[in-house]
Amino acid sequence: MKVLLVGEYRDGKLLESSYELFGFAAQLGAETAMLLVGREGELPLCGGKVYLADVAKYGEYNPDLHKKLVLAAVARENPDYVVFLHSSYGWDLAPRVAVALKAAQISEIVAVVEGGFELPCCNAKMRRTVRPQGATCVLTIQAGAFPGLTPGGSPQPLQVDAEGTPGVTFIGYEAAEEKGVDLAKAEVIVSAGRGIGKMDNVPVIAALAKALGGELGASRPVVDGGWIDHGHQVGTTGQTVSPKLYIACGISGAIQHLAGMKKSGFIVAINKDKDAPIGEVADVLIVADVMQLVPALTARLSR
Amino acid sequence: MKILVCIKQVPDMESRFKPDSAGVWFSETDLAFRMNEYDEYAVEQAVRLKEQLGGEPELTVLSIGPDRVVEAMKKALAMGCDRGVQVQDPSVHLKDPWQIASIIAEFAGREKFDLIFTGLQSQDRGSAQVGVAVAEIINYACATTVVAFEYADGVVTVKRELEGGTKGIVQLRTPALVTCQLGLNVPRYPTLPNIMKAKKKEILVLPVAELLHEEARAVTASFYPRAKKGSGIVLEGDVGDQVEKLLGILKEKTTVLR
Amino acid sequence: MNFELSQDHKVLQDSVRDFVVKEIKPLAMQTDEEHMIPDALVAKMGEMGLLGSYLPEEYGGAGMDMLSYAIVVEEVSKACGSSGVLISAHTSLASGPIYSFGTEAQKRKWLPALNSGKIIGCFLLTEPDAGSDCGAITTSFRRDGDEYVINGSKIFITNGGYLGTGVVFATSDKSLKHKGVSAFIIDLKSTGVVILKNEKKLGIRGSYTTAFALDNVRIPAENLLGVEGQGFKIAMDTLNGGRIGIASQALGIAEGAFELALAYSKERKQFGAPICDLQAIQFKLADMYAKIETAKLMTYKAACLKDAKKSYTMESALCKMLASEAATFVTKEAIQIHGGYGFICDYEVERMFRDAKITEIYEGTNEVQRVVISKLLLA
Repeated sequence: MKVLLVGEYRDGKLLESSYELFGFAAQLGAETAMLLVGREGELPLCGGKVYLADVAKYGEYNPDLHKKLVLAAVARENPDYVVFLHSSYGWDLAPRVAVALKAAQISEIVAVVEGGFELPCCNAKMRRTVRPQGATCVLTIQAGAFPGLTPGGSPQPLQVDAEGTPGVTFIGYEAAEEKGVDLAKAEVIVSAGRGIGKMDNVPVIAALAKALGGELGASRPVVDGGWIDHGHQVGTTGQTVSPKLYIACGISGAIQHLAGMKKSGFIVAINKDKDAPIGEVADVLIVADVMQLVPALTARLSR
Repeated sequence: MKILVCIKQVPDMESRFKPDSAGVWFSETDLAFRMNEYDEYAVEQAVRLKEQLGGEPELTVLSIGPDRVVEAMKKALAMGCDRGVQVQDPSVHLKDPWQIASIIAEFAGREKFDLIFTGLQSQDRGSAQVGVAVAEIINYACATTVVAFEYADGVVTVKRELEGGTKGIVQLRTPALVTCQLGLNVPRYPTLPNIMKAKKKEILVLPVAELLHEEARAVTASFYPRAKKGSGIVLEGDVGDQVEKLLGILKEKTTVLR
Repeated sequence: MNFELSQDHKVLQDSVRDFVVKEIKPLAMQTDEEHMIPDALVAKMGEMGLLGSYLPEEYGGAGMDMLSYAIVVEEVSKACGSSGVLISAHTSLASGPIYSFGTEAQKRKWLPALNSGKIIGCFLLTEPDAGSDCGAITTSFRRDGDEYVINGSKIFITNGGYLGTGVVFATSDKSLKHKGVSAFIIDLKSTGVVILKNEKKLGIRGSYTTAFALDNVRIPAENLLGVEGQGFKIAMDTLNGGRIGIASQALGIAEGAFELALAYSKERKQFGAPICDLQAIQFKLADMYAKIETAKLMTYKAACLKDAKKSYTMESALCKMLASEAATFVTKEAIQIHGGYGFICDYEVERMFRDAKITEIYEGTNEVQRVVISKLLLA
């Protein structure tokens, strides 16, 4: 079995997450080749073929041309699967490749199972197994679902090029907002999710953080709703943290949030829903109304 | 100017899901449905664009599915869309993203929209493919994960949300398609007068057979609950007891309580 | 007979529910504690169109039907009984009679501001010595040139504190009893209108319940609503429709309490199992649900009859009686199901219990409803 892995390159560097593609390929027992729009100095540490397109020529984000580069590599490699990360780069590019190849696309794979690939659905509460039909298939893998694997060795770069007029023009990056709060240094983080009910309840969560000598964190919906400033957001589009203690209050456990905190030392989740996905990573799941439990816990700590 | 916004009706995500009798999707018994959350941002942005251009553009909302999807469409009409198109399909849940994209592309190809808005993904299936696939089929410029949107004279400028909170600023020329991320804007409430006005707006019903000419490329073999691998302790019962037990565990397993 | 809500009514119900959950519910406890619905929330309700739901578009209303109005008040009241009665009294008791009995000029002058919620409306009938016996009001009016002069006092006026637009009832001659009563549209900011008190109450604390003194209040003659002597009929007709609003409020309060009790019974464990496994609790839930469904069917029926322009006096008295008694029963049982926690303010059922009681009293006590019902049966 052959797979073509599409690596990611941003801000002058090969992204570490690209090694998860090798981890996935290892589970399939597949022979790998990679396509990367990048540069010679930033090649992955693998022994196989790397189809290298010059990022200086093609840009870090240029989906129409990146698609053509992937197709050029596919034509030379003839893989069974073309594998992307399910990332802002991957979900933007993969469907274009799939349509061009008249191939199925299976998104956000979390596991390789009997009969196909396992994907999360219904807010990660459920799973489904999907089988592709036809020859080549495009796959995207969930961030962090497969271990990063450095195959080792020296890559053999092969130049790949493509022509065409891009439909989108990349203007530039805008840095993430200034983090007023450095959650990375906190030993304890207590985060608020939508389950706290309303903005007025944020101080209750902040009070628990204070009682534990920690910082206040937030899930994305709470930041989008304007309840807490973006500087406190934990997750894929916020900060990644690994405090000694992480307490998730009223957070269901969307994969983007888990990605930001699952490496914490000890995880406590407080949620009304016993089936909430956060239970997957929690060391302790307290099934309770956040607004009943948190004040009681804070009061007890202050004694 | 012609604008299209594509919406999907999904179940309330707070629900308990059970596999249906075929075991390939959820059973609809006792489920309440609503507009896919990502699509609410798409509808709001499309309506804002229409307002920015003095109301001139004609804004169409499209949805595929059984007659219950008309409820979600009416919300979009009450938010400010001008007309609706229901692609009537009682078994939409059996179509794969490729087929869904091909249906929308077939319709869009006939109408020649300047701009198409979709959500980044659906909350139930979450394949995040349909929007981009539609753009690829009809050869429209396309950008995904949009958290800011501006339009002037045929040029769309968007900010894409990237990992780590960085944004990528991208420009596209119409005809174009964008997929909308949560937090792009604040979707308006449909007011009562607008709900009434929506009743008079046309909803065209097209049978899916008229637009679907593609076979599925991927097949769902089964749908089932997540195997709970969480090896953690679950504390239930009285709040006071839970607090005491938690403190005991934290003292034993962590060093944060001095 | 179709017992399903139409798709359009479902769309309305979903939209209002979404607004209520995000905007009204989070402020319900504060509204009760501070005895005030925040002005910003009242403004949002106005923008949403909740304050002119069944009045026609030509007067700035949403142009919906009575059933839609009932759904609006019901959904709002599930979260906040005070907000529910603000909408109900404003729409049914102020905008309602101006629309039903007003001249074209009066409708154009007064309705748009009411329907948008810029001005809040109220109904000034009750007096210290005239409650159920509203024909015995003594607030008087006399004609003076091109004005009417009004003197007297009014109590228990819902929404009074907003000093918006009122429909006030006064008599030209006490001896004529109800035949002497006329109705007038009044700007409550007029000279001579004095707020004596905003009452502190057991429940619906966020609702203004105002006592007024009317001291030589001069209003233009063109503010007469209908014709002189028609006041009592206007009052009765208005209260008939208002009963649907109050029934919807009571129904909403009952449903809000029921939802909390049902959820609690599934979570609360005693003797090793959730209390909803106990037949005593199951029977309570069954009885509560039965009363709610009965009240709902009758309230919706009354609304649909009014929409069909059929006689609905019997049904409006029935729904007000059934829904209010359902509310007091359901909220009492909801507290019981919560046990000790039901008595604690943080658990909202105690507020709902306090809010429910008034629905058996105002807009025609349930005793008066029984008079109406039995009279119709024996006619």
